[in-house]
Amino acid sequence: MKNIYKLLFVTILSFSVISCDDYVDYDPSETYTIVADDYFTSSSDYESALVGVYDVTQWILYNVMIGEIASDNSLAGGESATDVIGLQKIDDMLHDPENDQLTSIWQFMYEGVNRANYLFENKDKLDFTRKDELYGEVHFLRAFFYFELVKIFGDVPLFTNSRLTAIDSGTLQRSSASDVYAQIESDLNAAIAALPAEKSVNGRATSFTAHALLGKVYLYQDKFDQAAAILDPLIGAYGLPERPGSVFLKSGENGAESVYEIQHTKDSNWWAWDYVPQGTEGNFAVIHHGIRGYVGDVYQSGWSFNVPTQDLVDAFPAGDKRKDVSVLDIVKWADDTGAEYGEGYEHTGYFNHKYIPRQGESSAQQELNFGTNYRAIRYADVLLMAAEANNRKSSPDTQAAQNYLNEVRKRAFGNESNASTSTGVTLTQEIWDERRLELAGEGHRFFDLVRTGQASTVLQSIGFQAGKHEVFPIPQKEIDISNLTQNNGY
Amino acid sequence: MKSQILSILFFLGCITMAAQSGTITGSVTDSSNNDLLPGVNVVVKNTTNGTNTDFNGNFSLNNVSNGDVLVFSFIGYNTLELKVSSSFNISVSLDPDIEALEEVVLLGYVSQKAANISGAVSTVDGEAVEKLKPVRVEDALQGQSGLNVISSGTPGAKPTVLIRGISSYSGNDPLVIVDGVNLTLDDMNSLDPSNIESISVLKDASTTALYGVKGGNGVIVITTKSGKRNQETQFNFDSSYAQQSVEKTIAVLNATEYAAILNEASVASGGNLIYPDFSNFGNGTDWQKEVFRDDAPLVTNTFSARGGSEKASYYFSAGHTSQEGVLYGEDKSYFDRFSFTANIDADLTDKLNIKAYNTYANIKGSNLGDVLFNALNMSPTTPVYDISGNFGTDSKITQEVKNPLAQISNSYNEGNTNKITGKLELEYELFKDFKITSRLGYNYVSAVGKSFNPLVFYGANHNQTNSNADGTPIVTVDSETGEETSTHSRVSETTNTWFRYNYELLGNYNFSIDNEHNFSLFAGFAISKNTGEGLGGTAVDIPFNSWKFADISAATGDQKYSTTSSSYYVGRKVSFFARAEYDYNEKYLASFSLRRDGSTSFGENNKFAYFPSASLGWVITNEDFFNSSTINFLKIRASYGLVGNDNVSPQFGTISTFPKYTFGNTIAAGSTLYSIPNADVSWENQGQANVGFDLRMFDSSLSLSFDYFEKSTDDLLFNPTLSLYLGTPVYPTANIGSTETTGFDVSLGYSKDFNDKISFNTSVSFTSSDNLVTAINNGDKYIWGAGYGIPFKNLVQFREGDSPGIFWGYKTDGIFQNYDEVAAHATQDNAQPGDIRFVDVDGNGKIDAEDRTKIGDPFADYTIGWNLNLNVHNFDLSVFTYGSFGNDVYRAYERNLNYTNRFARALDRWTGEGTSTVEPRATFVDGNNNSRASDRYVEDGSFIKIKNVQLGYNFNLNENSVFDSVRLYLQGKNLLTITDYSGYDPEMSGGVLGSGIDYGNYPTPRIVSVGLNVKF
Repeated sequence: MKNIYKLLFVTILSFSVISCDDYVDYDPSETYTIVADDYFTSSSDYESALVGVYDVTQWILYNVMIGEIASDNSLAGGESATDVIGLQKIDDMLHDPENDQLTSIWQFMYEGVNRANYLFENKDKLDFTRKDELYGEVHFLRAFFYFELVKIFGDVPLFTNSRLTAIDSGTLQRSSASDVYAQIESDLNAAIAALPAEKSVNGRATSFTAHALLGKVYLYQDKFDQAAAILDPLIGAYGLPERPGSVFLKSGENGAESVYEIQHTKDSNWWAWDYVPQGTEGNFAVIHHGIRGYVGDVYQSGWSFNVPTQDLVDAFPAGDKRKDVSVLDIVKWADDTGAEYGEGYEHTGYFNHKYIPRQGESSAQQELNFGTNYRAIRYADVLLMAAEANNRKSSPDTQAAQNYLNEVRKRAFGNESNASTSTGVTLTQEIWDERRLELAGEGHRFFDLVRTGQASTVLQSIGFQAGKHEVFPIPQKEIDISNLTQNNGY
Repeated sequence: MKSQILSILFFLGCITMAAQSGTITGSVTDSSNNDLLPGVNVVVKNTTNGTNTDFNGNFSLNNVSNGDVLVFSFIGYNTLELKVSSSFNISVSLDPDIEALEEVVLLGYVSQKAANISGAVSTVDGEAVEKLKPVRVEDALQGQSGLNVISSGTPGAKPTVLIRGISSYSGNDPLVIVDGVNLTLDDMNSLDPSNIESISVLKDASTTALYGVKGGNGVIVITTKSGKRNQETQFNFDSSYAQQSVEKTIAVLNATEYAAILNEASVASGGNLIYPDFSNFGNGTDWQKEVFRDDAPLVTNTFSARGGSEKASYYFSAGHTSQEGVLYGEDKSYFDRFSFTANIDADLTDKLNIKAYNTYANIKGSNLGDVLFNALNMSPTTPVYDISGNFGTDSKITQEVKNPLAQISNSYNEGNTNKITGKLELEYELFKDFKITSRLGYNYVSAVGKSFNPLVFYGANHNQTNSNADGTPIVTVDSETGEETSTHSRVSETTNTWFRYNYELLGNYNFSIDNEHNFSLFAGFAISKNTGEGLGGTAVDIPFNSWKFADISAATGDQKYSTTSSSYYVGRKVSFFARAEYDYNEKYLASFSLRRDGSTSFGENNKFAYFPSASLGWVITNEDFFNSSTINFLKIRASYGLVGNDNVSPQFGTISTFPKYTFGNTIAAGSTLYSIPNADVSWENQGQANVGFDLRMFDSSLSLSFDYFEKSTDDLLFNPTLSLYLGTPVYPTANIGSTETTGFDVSLGYSKDFNDKISFNTSVSFTSSDNLVTAINNGDKYIWGAGYGIPFKNLVQFREGDSPGIFWGYKTDGIFQNYDEVAAHATQDNAQPGDIRFVDVDGNGKIDAEDRTKIGDPFADYTIGWNLNLNVHNFDLSVFTYGSFGNDVYRAYERNLNYTNRFARALDRWTGEGTSTVEPRATFVDGNNNSRASDRYVEDGSFIKIKNVQLGYNFNLNENSVFDSVRLYLQGKNLLTITDYSGYDPEMSGGVLGSGIDYGNYPTPRIVSVGLNVKF
């Protein structure tokens, strides 16, 4: 009898523990993890999500680099022929869909799009004072990312409603470049409508920033009338500091010439190599341009990528002060100062002087924290865009075009003796050539050559094939996963 | 004699008690079931005064004095010695000698007579572990059938342990159960191998399914030593000293050869001679010779005491193991372990027993980075020290590769881990043969780590240099603003604590019907909780740039350079399980089990999993019709079951507050959606079938076990590759793959006692498994694993249709001898004569990424272990040889910078048409990318190693000796390796997605030791 009681006791005990199932429920707050459901409950959540979108603009180093390396302006360089092979292949026009740098450009720009869309997805959750303006910035940023995508890859998947999630994987196809451009224009017009013209703080997009980007977007579609019109309000709203190159010094950041400038800082003091460019708020492009094995004053040693060609150096006419601004002649510099340097792969004797590592401009893990801002759109660029648009629009305004071009030249030479009086296609060609000299090293050259139809002739010698190389290949990985079509010829 | 020693030790100075003499009476029982034992031989030690127990297990013996030692012996039981003290009426229980009577195998929750097991289990006893004297327990499992253990050369590092092949992508570590406490392989660094009583390796699903979602990779059940009842205290002291060295070095160029090839490469690339005159360069620096030492010590000392009274038993031990690495810098690479164990077992009442087991361990260690990589690639023209006595530098090598001795001297890190592992277990006999056990197992780990990055100087233009040659920080001045920036020394500290407990309530009932139908029923309930917390910080500017002051508290740098981080982990499980064993006259065997697991790891839509299993066995030799004098035992068995794997954490859509952007001069905090949720995530589901037999012949001197198994795993957990246009969020782990593994395990043993002076036993095990990834539904059907080098090259793939963890790269087809050959071949960008010809695998006329294919498999096709034990008079010899066949190795230690050193094979390079079909030309401009991941770097890593030879000598002791036994032994480990591999050591651990890659790994050292074991 006693045993039966014991058995009963055990049975009851067993059943009592069966009710333990909720022991394995899990709440993410147990590990202090914030989940999506907790979010967008105050305006500060929106502000901080917006910062998350701006964050991605800091990752465009390869976008900028390929704009130079794929062109006649520079060579890939680096340590050896196999150093960052993706850039080496682009340099030689041998790039194929398996290219880590192109893959990361694709993925980074879409991260930007998704972060922007995440704000649109949650737009109706809350109303707050700065909401319209805040969404104006989001419109601008989404346009910025889509423009990078369409400029580099052509037709790309287009989505605007929400951040994509796992179930969206493999469901989208590429939209035509014209549809993407239409969305970019719509976003920029929305930004122009919502944003103030004056910036409240350095780094935020303004309506003028959106004007400038929209002008560029029109130019890329040969919509010269619209381009001229949209750029017009900017003329005179900015200025050109007298000394060419001062804009590329620390003191020149966010100055009179700055239309849109991607902000970097050395103050995030980043140490971790395995999470760049995403982790640091520094400019990771800068160390790439550094002089290999450099020991000396002013500059800091770096990785000798993106080295300017002799062809670029020779393109500067005598008296053009922009040559020394754009290109550092290391042989001359070493002779003058006694500095020592090494030679990397494809050593030309020149380095990208606009975005070169300079002493004192980084911190913590030095390679990762150069605070150098990227001058995405400067007033000189706006002037040359306006010049081109005015010269090529349906009823050309040659005078305006000459004026804008000459304003840029005046600063370059320090006098007006090089002022252009050309008209028509000659003037157009002069503007294009001026863009190369004014914007050398800033990542515009290759895309300008493609846009203006010059690429197949100018880049023929380095292997440019018309009908193929105007755009870069869609990453193979994306083709495999999402069944996208590939660009012609790849 | 022993008692005298004890008296001297403990009662020194006391007045010797007068010897009493009289009659002693008592009873003898079986400790396993308390049955009285008749016929037990009872004698006073070293006399002829003795008797036997009567039918009721009682005895009476005259002329016994206080202090005499009684010896109880009986066939099938362990002999027991007991000192007579004041009580002249004693009851004694004898432990069955499991080896002689019936080997019992511990299956974790339950134990079973070996003869009745119908699953697949390998066992290793403590004695075998002692013969190997491993630093880590897992090394003692090498060569067991069904296991693939790949050791690491780094002191104390975790080896790769695979039970029956690779069935998963995420984590193939088996579950480890130590005395009922759930642990992992990572916890094994705290276990002193000398504490081990036995190890069982559960291989098939009928034995592992009782562990459910943790059983998918097999289970290692470890039992540590405990005392025995009524046993006099036995002290055991074991001490050994070893020296370690490396077996071989890798052939690299000497200074003269290096200079000549550099000149050639430079000229071939249109450059100038690098070394116009190298006639007096000689051999230059042999960096390997400079970094290796051949006297690295490995010292172990253990001291233990075990024994027991009538109601309690105990085992205490203290052990210390100290191992230094084979590279110079004794404090830079070492493993050091102290451990203290107290295992106490006591009967609180007749029916209530308590077991309190506790082990404390302290583990300290540090490790060196890629010193061998640097030793192999550093230029031989660089001296170890320059003329001013500083470390030599090479101004032409500006990245990564540096003077390895300077690197050693700049390398500072230390880990200090404290662990407390143990259990508190109550067992209550509710009624006869029905026991309830309540067990609380726990494992507390506190790990503190520190690393110091001092200011270093590897040459003024080296990219890792951050100090001036005199060791002061490099201060740079912004030429524009005058702002100064300095380089910093930096210290990082981490502290992590993990606490894991499992509480289990178990019931066990054994009964027989008609003495023919034997049942053993078992059921249990368990909850477990795992928590982890981590905190880390860094700070800069360490006083005097010195390790001595390397601490955050001493750092003087600006706070803005400091970082902090923290992490948390919580996991809980709740489980029910039951098992039934049945046998009919030990002839027909069956077992069934079922487990239900719930886990916080799983998504909310899939919280609970069920894991059933069944096994059947037939002992043919127990049939009446079977009558053979040759075959002593033959059992056929089969099993099938489901097990799981839960290497996953809950998959939520989390918000990261990591993004930032600068507005004005302020860094603004941002946020974004960091990860994509998956509420469906669940366990990996593995079905495993096993068939096998056990055979013993010729008076059981020959034994053979054979098992064939098939495993198929579905719902493999890993991160899918989603469309890249989703951006860069963390993709959720999902159940999206499957694998199949088949294989067989064989073990063959033979033992023979020629006479009482000479005995011999040997065993051979054979393990093979064939692994196949049958599906990866992640979008692109493969996942990249490890890679190597700068620039980084992908290498390892987990790919549908192939075995897991293969090397993926280009196939080579010799060297282009001339331009005609280049032109005739598929388009290969920038190729020139003297470059490698890669195979156009996909036949599209172009060498591109699509031409990459399987170029090697790092996992062995099969492994063989061979043990030999020989006892001749006082000598004992044991030899263990291990062979691994069909495993490939990838040489990833070749850096291929223009100015780094090259390997001896470069002497046979292509220098013109017809000069080489293997080694490409020397050039500074490798446009063809000859160094891309290809089969050039893949070698057959098959090897046979004489892993262990131990020769012992037992001293003859005279009867009055204070010692019970004294044994002196010599041991050699890794004495000989037979392999075609050109690197240090083809055996290298690394996990499923990173095995077999030689980054310049620490080779397993050759260890020669001498040791002494004393029992008293």
